[in-house]
Amino acid sequence: MNALGTRGGEIDSWVRSNLFDQIPVALSVISRDYRIVEANSQFEDAYGDWRGRPCYEVCKDRTEPCMRCAALETFLDGKIRRREEEGVMRNGKQIDYLVQMLPMTRPNGEIPFILEMFTDITPVKRLEREKREAERMAAVGETVAGVAHGVKNILMGLEGGMYAVNTGIQMGDDERIARGWTVLEDNVTRISAFVKEFLDFAKGTATAVALVDPNRPARAVVDLFRERAAQAGIRLEEELQDGVPAAPLDEEGIHTCLANLVSNAIDACTLSDKERDFVVTLASREEDGVLIYEVVDNGQGMDYEISRKVFSRFFTTKGSDRGTGLGLLTTKRIVHQHGGRISFESKEGEGSVFRIELPRATLPALGAGPKDGTPETAGTTT
Amino acid sequence: MSGSKQAASPRAKRVLIVDDEPDVIGYLEMLLNDAGYETFTAGDGTTALEMARRERPDLVTLDISMPRASGTRFYKEVKKDPELAPIPVVIVTAVTGYGGDPYGYEKFLSHRSLVPPPEGFFPKPIDRDAFLAAVQKLLAA
Repeated sequence: MNALGTRGGEIDSWVRSNLFDQIPVALSVISRDYRIVEANSQFEDAYGDWRGRPCYEVCKDRTEPCMRCAALETFLDGKIRRREEEGVMRNGKQIDYLVQMLPMTRPNGEIPFILEMFTDITPVKRLEREKREAERMAAVGETVAGVAHGVKNILMGLEGGMYAVNTGIQMGDDERIARGWTVLEDNVTRISAFVKEFLDFAKGTATAVALVDPNRPARAVVDLFRERAAQAGIRLEEELQDGVPAAPLDEEGIHTCLANLVSNAIDACTLSDKERDFVVTLASREEDGVLIYEVVDNGQGMDYEISRKVFSRFFTTKGSDRGTGLGLLTTKRIVHQHGGRISFESKEGEGSVFRIELPRATLPALGAGPKDGTPETAGTTT
Repeated sequence: MSGSKQAASPRAKRVLIVDDEPDVIGYLEMLLNDAGYETFTAGDGTTALEMARRERPDLVTLDISMPRASGTRFYKEVKKDPELAPIPVVIVTAVTGYGGDPYGYEKFLSHRSLVPPPEGFFPKPIDRDAFLAAVQKLLAA
């Protein structure tokens, strides 16, 4: 900077004397024993008196060091770190901040101090939480409306069965009684299946994440549906990329997603009024750190009216003897819990492609429940 | 999913039942046949429209959420067609309106577009006596 002559020298001197105190970011410098040895006025305004006190006490109101201390890691490996943390300010208010750790490395590699930069991200975090909560409430509303819709159809079936049995008895018509009884039995079976599927949907919070080969649930799904596809005269194929490294996934959840999509694809072929060789393909691959599953069919496809509603609510085109409309909603929920997204393309009469994309960077942590916590991002060395 | 059931009277009124639920179709068929009407059925909106044009029923009972053309589309097509428009349509649906209002869909259909409101509207499961009374009144007109 000072190579620029007078102007450069002026800037250099201003930066040296003012930047630390005037930059609109809270800054502190900590030593290896977590003591704060220097801080700017922004820091002092937010967190109060810091002189000689440890960082965990000043920023977090703790009596001992944090469990996963990012500063400790940076003292050890000299890497720049960014982390989202929750702290407590001098006025006792909770704060969400983004802290970046810069090692102050001596020429001999020794790291006596770390510069910590704190950015207040409380409003962003609050919006995030509110958005998540709103989505959750919307999903609950959709779920309840869908359950009501399904139950009403089943109730109507039960009433029809009762009507047939009652009038059959009055008329002495055994055939009518038998018919009514079958309708009653079928609808009791339907409501049992419906309740099971509904519980699968509701169970959402208990996911178990483990390091698994992403192709394993895909192979299991192909095995599961091979016979059903064959019986319907549909070729079920797998195109799974070899050598995709293991990833932290809820294997059962991914299995449910793929099973729902393959089952839908087979139905789409069965319901098509075209004459052709029907093929359903389950593909997997990794592209730029994103795990991708695709289910492709050349079945009936969807017109605009239907494709608009696919994920929007409890929607089934199959009649409730074949579907409750919960499958894709469940699939969407599981994909979101994996930090991923699901999308589709469809052409009426030609077929559909459903695609699940799971970026490795946002997959849930190992052994964790569904993704809800704050992610950590480790920076790179300079 | 289409066919015709004969009722006792040779001059019976004819009702087209449109629904994708076989059990609902079976129930409405039985109910209407018992009341002396002739019935025939369609399992989706597209088939229903073809049958309405061909068979000219005296009344239609219409489900809303169905595969292929939905009940909404069928209703609009019927009410826009001067030849079909006079046929009374009784909607029988499990579709629930905003906030759980069982009549929400009727309101939606009535004030949203240029089509007139349906002649009858029954949330599933139907009130059997009220349904039959409404059908009877519409067919007597």
